Amino acid sequence: MKMNKTILGYVPEESPLYRIHPFVRVFFLLVVSLFPMLINAPEWNLAIIVLAIFLLKYSRVNLSTLKIYVPVSLSMGFLILLSHTVLGGIHPEFYVSFKLFGFPFYYERIVAAVDVYTRVLPMIFLTVLFLSTSRERDMLVAMRWAHVPFVVTYLVAMALRSVGMVIEDFSIVRQAEKARGFDPQGKSIAYKLRQFVMYIIPLFALALRRSDEFANAIVARGYSFTGLREVKRPDYILTQYRFRVRDGLLVAIISLSLVGVLIIRFGLGGLTLEGSLTLQWLELWLKGGAA
Amino acid sequence: MSIAMRFEDYSWRYSRTSEPALKNVNLEIAAGAVVGIIGPNGSGKTSLAYSMNGLIPNQYNGIRTGAVYVLGKEVTTIPQAQLCQQVGLVFSDPEAQFTAMTVEDEVIFGMENMGLTIAQIKQRLDWVVPLTEIEPLMDKPPYEVSGGQKQRVALASVLGMRPPIMVLDEPTSMLDPMGRQRVFEVLGKLKREYQSTIIVVEHSLENLVPLADLMILVYHGEVLLVAETEPFFEQLGYLMKHDVFPPGVLEFFYQLKVAGHYPAAWPLPQSVAAGAARLRALFEEKK
Amino acid sequence: MKTTPYLSVENLSYRYPDGTLALRELSFELAEGDFVALIGQNGSGKTTASKCLNGLFKPTEGRVIVDGLDTRTTSITKMVVRVGYVFQNPDHQLFNSNVWDEIAYGPRNIQFSEEEVTERVEEAAKVVGLNASYFTEHPFFLPKGLRQRVAIASILALRPKVIIVDEPTTGQDVKQSLEIMDFLTYLHQERGHIIVIITHDMPIVSRYAKRIVLLGQGRKLADGPTSEVFAQPQILAETFVAPPQITQLAQATAELGFDPGTLRVNELLTQFEGLVA
Repeated sequence: MKMNKTILGYVPEESPLYRIHPFVRVFFLLVVSLFPMLINAPEWNLAIIVLAIFLLKYSRVNLSTLKIYVPVSLSMGFLILLSHTVLGGIHPEFYVSFKLFGFPFYYERIVAAVDVYTRVLPMIFLTVLFLSTSRERDMLVAMRWAHVPFVVTYLVAMALRSVGMVIEDFSIVRQAEKARGFDPQGKSIAYKLRQFVMYIIPLFALALRRSDEFANAIVARGYSFTGLREVKRPDYILTQYRFRVRDGLLVAIISLSLVGVLIIRFGLGGLTLEGSLTLQWLELWLKGGAA
Repeated sequence: MSIAMRFEDYSWRYSRTSEPALKNVNLEIAAGAVVGIIGPNGSGKTSLAYSMNGLIPNQYNGIRTGAVYVLGKEVTTIPQAQLCQQVGLVFSDPEAQFTAMTVEDEVIFGMENMGLTIAQIKQRLDWVVPLTEIEPLMDKPPYEVSGGQKQRVALASVLGMRPPIMVLDEPTSMLDPMGRQRVFEVLGKLKREYQSTIIVVEHSLENLVPLADLMILVYHGEVLLVAETEPFFEQLGYLMKHDVFPPGVLEFFYQLKVAGHYPAAWPLPQSVAAGAARLRALFEEKK
Repeated sequence: MKTTPYLSVENLSYRYPDGTLALRELSFELAEGDFVALIGQNGSGKTTASKCLNGLFKPTEGRVIVDGLDTRTTSITKMVVRVGYVFQNPDHQLFNSNVWDEIAYGPRNIQFSEEEVTERVEEAAKVVGLNASYFTEHPFFLPKGLRQRVAIASILALRPKVIIVDEPTTGQDVKQSLEIMDFLTYLHQERGHIIVIITHDMPIVSRYAKRIVLLGQGRKLADGPTSEVFAQPQILAETFVAPPQITQLAQATAELGFDPGTLRVNELLTQFEGLVA
């Protein structure tokens, strides 16, 4: 299958995703990422994760690439739990659910950990969804469509572009290091960290040597930096993307869902932790219904 | 014939070096000519190229004396944005000149800077993309395509601006032999069909020599020899003394001439086909 | 005389993470006395293949055996003392703060004693012609030619039998290219290294390489002495390579009695004198 490279992975060349205007995709990311900040009820945040996974599947992203995020997600969950329980201090006012190696695990702190974790996780999934389905260009198109000044989009593009170059350089430098017998296996963390600092020299050298030519290249093709003062310039790329009725509808739906969430949360007092199914279930499990 | 480019007692010294990069250069390049600039690394070829489109002195600190005229106007009197519509420069390291996220953005960047309309851009794309054979690459990031493709993208991104004068600084250093040939085929087409003035800095002479009308030898900052291609290579002994390594066919016939096997009045052939014809003629003669 | 190979590539296939099959069932051997040019069009798999030779890339299928060791199961420290890899751009491989540490970096990774490291650094520096006054310099501030020498020295300090050099002549003028290649020839002839170069420069190949391994679309198209491979222009054309001009001239005039495997100007001159005499 022919694949298109995205920022994080690959999407097939034929994906239903391409029917959607890039602006809608960026808008979706920006708006839906707000939801976990508004929503406390863990089951609804889990629903956002399910939605993200569904959209990944719909976009025909190879889901096996998500495996690399599993350890990150798990270790983050573990750290959050740890910081709320073992490292959370002694609180005689809280209910002790159980003790592990003499550490009290308070019910209230576990609930807080679950709350934080289930709000962080959907944000990660949404970002992964966006980065694995979008190319750098999509972001630029979205910005230009929204009339962000060209200079800004150009600077963003160059930043993204240099990230691409640095990543490529980085992988060659690491190969070069391996080719001289550096074996990261069985080395201490401190050693590896020091190694990481070493990469900075060649990466810096490469960037510095290129920056001159980079500046020359821009000048040689007639770009003059005029700051935010816009010089009228055509935008050829934008003409290839059409903002259709469907895209308008999607933006409306996304906006309405944000309004909906706001109303339920602040108007009707819904989507809170207190009223959530998860809390009832945790109570049953960790407190034995003692409350 | 009108003059595309003229150097008059031109010298340039970078402020960080004690020796001038270019010393007292006098040159005249006719419009529509294909010009090859050769010489060892560090001899001033790139400085010469940069002086043609104003990168020197606009982007570098140094001392400049004399004058460079592009289509009759002194370089420093032409605004940079206008100058680069007259002189297009393709850099030796294509990687370093990419500023966009996709090949397509890269190719249209210059055109957008010129303020062309969408229709004009479309029209130029339809011309330059097949010419440089980059259709399949249009939505890829330019730094991810192969070396040969990069160099063609770099060429396309400058060609799209349709400058009457093209300057190419070692455009084929990263290419396989066929890739090289293809770049020179594009240059040949530009020469024949669009009468572009093409100035090429190049080490590998095989493809350049058959195309070039004029050759320039730069050595230690000085222009040592300027001549039409045929008489230029008649002085092969002198060139070889200055670290010019001629393509095999030229060298072979030069050696034949030196050894007295090849009539002094015959010109030295510049391509394999011409060489083969000469050899056959020579064998006829010997019989 | 058939010597046992030092390195053998057996049915090697390599697939990139994006699914591209870069090498398809590639097999060849490197033995004592080899000076090989790996050639083929851009994207033919030359660089990928060469990175499989010292375990930088592990085969997707097939295997690479170096000095009896399988690259899939051998630690990188054992590989790099057998096969050295010089990257094209010295800036990618210089990451220490002075030249001495740079050259010592490899041997220290192998955990040689400090005396041994010193001995190796001094020897490697001497071979590439870097005198001791450079040892305290920062590699970053050296001119490109010297940076390349430091990069080669840093590989030589590991004393690998095989040295792979990726595009040694790209960006160099002809004179500089000849100097680098003369140096590789010295390493080959005087110090017994097996040399593998990856290059597009056919005149350089015809002048220096004893053998060509020709790749096209990840497959091996030809493998043999330089003049024999160059004598088959139709196979070369499959991977968009053309023999050097002088060989093309000999081939175009083969009917006059010239040898289609001619590699150098002086060979053709000798033939010419023989034919007209």
